[in-house]
Amino acid sequence: MMTTMAEILLVDDNPADLDLTIDALAQSPWRTHVSTVSDGAEAMAYLYREGKYSEAIRPHLVLLDLNLPRKDGRAVLADMKSKPALRRIPVVIFSTSQARKDIESSYELGANSYVSKPPTLSEWVSAVKVLNEFWIGCACLPREVES
Amino acid sequence: MNTTATRTARETEPSHALKPRLRVLLVEDDPADRDLILSELNKGEFEIHSDAAVTADEFRQRIRANCPDVVLADYNLGQWRGTDALEIMREEGLDIPLILVSGALGDVTAVECIKQGVTDYVLKDSLGRLPMALRGALKDKSAREERKRAEESLAEKVEELARSNADLEQFAYVASHDLQEPLRMVAAYTQLLAERYRGKLDEQADKYINYAVEGAVRMQSLIQDLLAFSRVGRQEIGVKSTDCNEIVERTIENLQGTILESGAVVTHGPLPRLMVRGLQLQQVFQHLIGNALKFRGPQTPAIQIAATKEGAEWTFTVADNGIGISPEYAESVFIIFNRLHTRTEYPGNGVGLAICKKIVQQHGGRIRALPRDGGGTIFNFTWPAEELAESRGPA
Repeated sequence: MMTTMAEILLVDDNPADLDLTIDALAQSPWRTHVSTVSDGAEAMAYLYREGKYSEAIRPHLVLLDLNLPRKDGRAVLADMKSKPALRRIPVVIFSTSQARKDIESSYELGANSYVSKPPTLSEWVSAVKVLNEFWIGCACLPREVES
Repeated sequence: MNTTATRTARETEPSHALKPRLRVLLVEDDPADRDLILSELNKGEFEIHSDAAVTADEFRQRIRANCPDVVLADYNLGQWRGTDALEIMREEGLDIPLILVSGALGDVTAVECIKQGVTDYVLKDSLGRLPMALRGALKDKSAREERKRAEESLAEKVEELARSNADLEQFAYVASHDLQEPLRMVAAYTQLLAERYRGKLDEQADKYINYAVEGAVRMQSLIQDLLAFSRVGRQEIGVKSTDCNEIVERTIENLQGTILESGAVVTHGPLPRLMVRGLQLQQVFQHLIGNALKFRGPQTPAIQIAATKEGAEWTFTVADNGIGISPEYAESVFIIFNRLHTRTEYPGNGVGLAICKKIVQQHGGRIRALPRDGGGTIFNFTWPAEELAESRGPA
């Protein structure tokens, strides 16, 4: 359970999907502060606080799409999970794909869970609420690695 | 083969002009025998072009240099045998008839030689049989070529078909995957519009929004079904021996809700144990029994499942007392997205039977819909009694 407001990073190139998730998070029980980036390279810059992201807060949770322009979601995941400074941040894969290959390889790479984007609005909202309740309201989250 | 077209300047002997040309490679270590055979050959109906070899190396070199129409070989050639020539030709990728021309050949050896692929054999003391053996060998050769051409063209067609099927499946898979995302945007945002702006515009607007939501949701379910159809045979890999009684009972359990609600009576006779890939047979029963329940008539649904064995295959029947299928639609019901009723009469996308047909066909079986005496439908499908473990993997 968070005592300060939780920081969530959404990585998705589809603004319509980002809006849906932001909307659903706003309806969720636990208040969160949401940042968004639209490709994998931006996500890495954000996480390393590079360039325009020098003031960025390390997120408590990352919702990561798989098919992204520039740096692919799989590469972002692999990169995060191999870096001591980033690997403890929980990453939830949030992708349209239901392919076994994508699901299995995401867990192989160390994804903390895999949620396939639901096809309807009501299912979308409830999936995001469940994520919010579990990761922010229920799970104990790690502290940031001292640099 | 006609000589007039291929004749060169050297071949000018008029008496040969009308004779078909025949290139012969003679494998014989005895010069006297060689002359005898040649003179016998020249008496026949062919214009003979002969070449000769004695050792295996020579034979290989000569056969490479000028591909003959027929090989005449002695059986015993000192260092090697006439039948070894067959192996050399196979190595060289050549399919040329070989006639053994030899001294006494024991019965067993003769049979052995024919088994190895010798076309015919002629004893040296009855060389008069040579022309007949030649004719036979040439006939044999053209039959072999004909068969090879037919086999090649069949193999080509099979490959082409497999490729186009694979392309189609890949297309369906990719298209439905890539279509899902934009479609989800339409569905989600029209739903959001409906939720947040209902009553705030006018009645007409509410109706339009509802149409848009309905269309998007239906399209999503069509795409889901198309995906399910294209996935048949792609994902399930484990083949194992399965009790069909268990499969049917599990299916009945899955459909318990509808069965209780309709008061249906579903019975089955003794069913066999079969080699089944994953959940495929269960999927077939799920769709067939599900349909029997869905398309029920006014009376209480009664569904019987049975199996009989004929030769190497089992025939399963699923009989119901439902609304039946007119004979003119008995085939088209298996076409994907084909429906006989409006969605308000009976829900569904018309994919279930297409999936059944695809699964049954992938196992080398057939499926049919027949009218049942006294009303209703009988679906029957065949399934091989013993399916080899990996003989029919997904394409």
